[in-house]
Amino acid sequence: MSAEAIAAISAIQEPSLSPSIAAGAGATPEADTFSSLVTGGIDKVNEQLMTGQVQLQQLAAGEPVNLHQVMIGLEESRMSFQLLMQVRNRLLEGYQEVMRMQL
Amino acid sequence: MDYSQTYAISAAGMNVERLRVDVAAMNLANANAPITVNGANYQPLQVVATATRAGSFGALVGGGLVGPQAVVQPSTLLPRQVLEPGHPAADAQGFVRYPGVDTTVEMMTLMSATRAYEANVSALNAARSMAMKALEIGGSK
Repeated sequence: MSAEAIAAISAIQEPSLSPSIAAGAGATPEADTFSSLVTGGIDKVNEQLMTGQVQLQQLAAGEPVNLHQVMIGLEESRMSFQLLMQVRNRLLEGYQEVMRMQL
Repeated sequence: MDYSQTYAISAAGMNVERLRVDVAAMNLANANAPITVNGANYQPLQVVATATRAGSFGALVGGGLVGPQAVVQPSTLLPRQVLEPGHPAADAQGFVRYPGVDTTVEMMTLMSATRAYEANVSALNAARSMAMKALEIGGSK
């Protein structure tokens, strides 16, 4: 009776706590969530960079694109890239700190 | 990201100012094309900008800030009459009618639109430098 109840509760709570884990059942929840966060962020930055590139191509091809919108798109992608770089710097700092630890 | 909303607002403002410049250039370009009886006559245009949503500032923030919109409408200015007796489009009294474009007003529109565009760029740059400063939080140096 109680085991059934626990199973029922965990079946409810598990997807609501970590919706992205369902696909990768083998990996540990923390690693999967964090790596999916990083991958998603990188994908988003890449997408913005590609959008900027497409807009630049349209502008160069003489299509009626507003110049300021192209520049704003480029600026947004640059900002996302800077954010990505800052996250990477923090991660590397933490990693190097751990590697310097005396055992 | 929050700064992209600031970018979108400034972009909307820049769109309006670009439209004002385009319409002023169109008016100026067609100012000296005479109105003929059976020709393609030019009607002077004007840009009417509207705020997207009315209400208090708090309501605007809660519902998301959005920039202004603009529509192009024909203006109701009367044609100007110039005495040019030898002109093929002249009427019986020798008057030629031109679209009611006021060159001075159009030049003022050009100037104010340019300055407003610059103001929008400044606002965008301010938001950008704030975001860049925020990225420096906790930097090693």
